[in-house]
Amino acid sequence: MDIKNHLTTEEIHAIIQENGGDTEHLLQILHELQNASGLNYIDQETASIVAKEVGLPETRLHDIITFYAMLKTKPKAKFVLKVCNSTPCHFSHSKKVIDMLEAELGVKIGETTKDGLFAYHYIPCVGACDIGPVIKIKDTVYGNLNQQVIHQLLEDLRAGKRDQ
Amino acid sequence: MSRNSSVLLKYADKIAPTSVSEYVSVGGFSGIKQAISMDKEAIIEEILRANLRGRGGAAYPAGRKWKSLYHIDGAPKYIVCNADEGEPGTFKDRELLKKVPLSVIEGMLIAGYVFDSPMGYIYIRGEYRHIQKVFEQALKEAREAGYLGKNILGIEGFDYDITIVSGGGAYVCGENSALLNSIEGKAGRPRIKPPHLAEVGLYQKPTLVNNVESFACIPVILSEGSESFLNYGTPEGGGTKLVSISGHSKNRGVFEVNLGIPLRELIMGKDYGNGIVDGTLNFFHIGGQSGPIGFPEQLDTLYSYEALKEVGLSIGSGALVVLNDKVCLVEYIQKVFEFFVHESCGKCTPCRIGTTRILELLTDFIEGRAKEGDVEKLEYLSQQVSALSACGLGQSVNVALNSCLKHRRKEFEAHITNHGCPLCGDQNE
Repeated sequence: MDIKNHLTTEEIHAIIQENGGDTEHLLQILHELQNASGLNYIDQETASIVAKEVGLPETRLHDIITFYAMLKTKPKAKFVLKVCNSTPCHFSHSKKVIDMLEAELGVKIGETTKDGLFAYHYIPCVGACDIGPVIKIKDTVYGNLNQQVIHQLLEDLRAGKRDQ
Repeated sequence: MSRNSSVLLKYADKIAPTSVSEYVSVGGFSGIKQAISMDKEAIIEEILRANLRGRGGAAYPAGRKWKSLYHIDGAPKYIVCNADEGEPGTFKDRELLKKVPLSVIEGMLIAGYVFDSPMGYIYIRGEYRHIQKVFEQALKEAREAGYLGKNILGIEGFDYDITIVSGGGAYVCGENSALLNSIEGKAGRPRIKPPHLAEVGLYQKPTLVNNVESFACIPVILSEGSESFLNYGTPEGGGTKLVSISGHSKNRGVFEVNLGIPLRELIMGKDYGNGIVDGTLNFFHIGGQSGPIGFPEQLDTLYSYEALKEVGLSIGSGALVVLNDKVCLVEYIQKVFEFFVHESCGKCTPCRIGTTRILELLTDFIEGRAKEGDVEKLEYLSQQVSALSACGLGQSVNVALNSCLKHRRKEFEAHITNHGCPLCGDQNE
């Protein structure tokens, strides 16, 4: 599968403007840019365009991007599978989900598969404790997981069947 | 007294969430209509009489907050809704935002009216981005129907709108001053207080910050009256409460209950938690990660602000995480501290380093390395962190641990004598 790695300067500008274009909408802008980036991160070039557009020093933007856990400065994968391990999910066996992902994907937690498609890691509570354990991909939460559900989810993602 | 009045979630799943006409057809926007017929101070008196306690976690009386802001000079005053619901085990605001967003908007609108505010902000956590879209649609429809914008309800000069601000995955932003910094386009680290946010808030202006559920209660108080609202609860806290039940409960989900329902019914009753999956009740974590741990011998306590306080428990965010007897209490507390270590913003040294040291020590207990005196060391460290941190995050890291040491000290000591415990570790993960 061809993974689009970088947004063009025009695309970056368009996303900034469509999402408010000011400091109050900064996190919204950064989420959208990260989601559109192909590898789920915000590169330095993108960050400096944002800084200029909303009128903040680049260092301040760096402080912000590194402060908020959902924002990443390093390339991840096309699909980053985030598994909640706060207490309600942890004791609903979120570790088993990690084990299943390791078996299915053949890479360890924090690593990216060779084809660049998948990476997975733990995150804190996503507010879906009623359906834990959960996997979150971008803005979608998948709950009540078992081996079969996870296998199907990965198959669907590979086949481009899930709208992400 | 009824134990499960449906008030806040009465029309959830029954009306189209963002439709103004459907919301109005079930009595929606009658709170703001009542408000504009009243004197502004009378509105605040009504909220005071209703004894609405803040639903975010601190339980500070909302009426008192409104009253003090009302008497502060300075304009503009800003209205901020804290929808950064991040306490693990808490997912009740999610239901309001997703299913009855117009009731939250109406609460914020009433605040806008009382304080002559030009602008309200709702800060919705980054993990709820899918819900931000629903809320945006609700705002749009409210605007089109004339409930937001200029000359609202035909009142000359009643101009007010609401903006959504997204969070970015930082628990500490649930702290109100950190949240305001985040809206201003800064990293969400808490401010040093005083000054209080009512005086120096968003963009240095007087600001009201309330939780989602608190705002959703406001239209109920005005349309039904404070007496009716108070009657849903107890003298020390009126209204219904949304409780998020998770963990090893047979029924996991959000339940709306009258304040004052017995805890036992909430955890064991078939209409609520419906008992324990795969074992018996070992303990429950109430109010969020920063809340205390409760034990089976406390089940006869009523779920109310005053009754829980008497036995050292609290409602907090309305979280109720239930754990069965296959879970080791010490290991559970270790996971709680893993969370605090991850979420400490790093501004205060005691919180940044102290939580890490406590986590290391708890790991020693679990892995059999803890030695004589380490229980006392745990106690000392957590006291220091809570006494020396500037914001609510650091100040409350000792709450869960303290309740465990008070009621189950022996379980910690046993980890020293037995070099760990048979429940700890992978088998219950």
